[in-house]
Amino acid sequence: MLLASAVAALAGVVMIFAVQHEMGSRLGQQVVIATSPRPEPRALTADEDRYAAALWEVHREVTPSAVAMSFAGIAYKTEMQDVQELERRIAPLAMFFTRAEARVQSLAVPESLSKVHGQYAEAMTLYANASGEMLKFVRDGQAQHLLDAQGMGLKASENMLRVGEVLWPGQYKPH
Amino acid sequence: MTTLVTTRLGTTRLGTTRLGTTGLGLRVRLFASILVGLVVLAVAAGTSALAQAPVCSVWLIESSRFMKVPFGSFMPDRTFVPGSNKPESNIPTVDLPVNVGVIKCGNELILYDTGWKQQEYLKMTGSEHWAPIGEQLKVLGFNAADVTKVVIGHAHWDHAGQLSDLPNAVLYVQREELKAIEWALNYPEKHIRAINSDPGGCYRTPACGYMPLTMEEVYGKVLKGKAVIVDGEMEILPGVRIHPAFRAHTGGSQLLEVPTSIGKLVFGSDAFSSYEAIRDWMVANVQQTDSVQQFLAYEKCYKITGGYENCVAAHEPLSYTDKYPITKNSWVALNGGRMAEVALAPGEKSRKP
Repeated sequence: MLLASAVAALAGVVMIFAVQHEMGSRLGQQVVIATSPRPEPRALTADEDRYAAALWEVHREVTPSAVAMSFAGIAYKTEMQDVQELERRIAPLAMFFTRAEARVQSLAVPESLSKVHGQYAEAMTLYANASGEMLKFVRDGQAQHLLDAQGMGLKASENMLRVGEVLWPGQYKPH
Repeated sequence: MTTLVTTRLGTTRLGTTRLGTTGLGLRVRLFASILVGLVVLAVAAGTSALAQAPVCSVWLIESSRFMKVPFGSFMPDRTFVPGSNKPESNIPTVDLPVNVGVIKCGNELILYDTGWKQQEYLKMTGSEHWAPIGEQLKVLGFNAADVTKVVIGHAHWDHAGQLSDLPNAVLYVQREELKAIEWALNYPEKHIRAINSDPGGCYRTPACGYMPLTMEEVYGKVLKGKAVIVDGEMEILPGVRIHPAFRAHTGGSQLLEVPTSIGKLVFGSDAFSSYEAIRDWMVANVQQTDSVQQFLAYEKCYKITGGYENCVAAHEPLSYTDKYPITKNSWVALNGGRMAEVALAPGEKSRKP
């Protein structure tokens, strides 16, 4: 009798755990099912698509060049402290951003993307000016030039982000 | 026994003599006294040291949440198999929080990772439940200006954002992380140096994830003298230690060991993307990852904390539930984002609403 009671109690405990586990599994699945769907970005028209593709050819080089400019500043402050090396790194970037600014201005822009175009063009101007400020620092050693350049770079990168959200929304993934 | 003691002055009768009254006995008593004194001092010093051992309070903030991420893209060994009954392959998608550590050690307030804020990122990645770091800190009774240190596990855009909103914080980043990014940027092969290979994304190439805005913010900290470039291991406060975990996720990934009232915690950012992965020894969130180094990073947490329970994961889907025990003391805060109170130092009040 005692043994039977013990077995029954143990069976009851096992049942409770089994039910709890089942409920937990279902809860996990319910959480997955209940999540909201990702909103699909607006599809671009054919003209907008052409503009996005043309601008991408500029953007794919602008992105690493912008990062390279930040790294030139980081390397100057943390390692080399050598203005000649800083100039060696910045001078080609300054030329690149000036050319990029001209390329962007020459693109045919659909009316619907004029705001986006303006943001990207402004970003190129900001980057060109930022590299100019860094070269001014090379010449006169005034640290404010570097701070001004960094502020311009920050704004330019935010502009590019805004443009990317409209034209290339798939470029960011969880990291 | 009566003895005669011969002295230079002649023979003199002394009283009963015993060994203890001789020089040898005196030396023994003296030695014993010194020994007891040393033991007492040692015990007192040890007690004092224990009483002064630093302990920090820890909270976790969900900066935002990536929604409906295919489980297999997060953890290859958990890829969904239609029709499967196996628990490791019957979940198609998961929601991934972006967990930020809030660590208070005395008068110092440290953030481990910082999330990001630009709305465009949120839209492009289908993220929800975001709130700015400053507002989230206010929920815990802190201000952004109170943050004294930021340790980023790595410099990917979703972990090293909002630095401009933490004006007094000193940023800690590994030199190896910066070197790895520069190496990739300057590599001649365009697919390796690309930050974004095409409009569809950069498919985890070496420079992937290091966006201009994030790098500009890191540069800003360096420029303003608010950055420490770390070379490997470093103690940033008593008991609070940075451990390198190079290539456990990115070239210069770093962990943070924190002493708390529930034992040592180790924050791992994306080297510890998943708590279940650390528990079950699986890779997770493979980016510029060497899977061997990721496993070695897991081992480091096991060794430091004595197990896997106190390893703090950046994107664990089970965060803020009982199934991830150190995060279970949780609540829903701004915009549906969650927070958890992980550990309180003696005298620290609860900040759970």
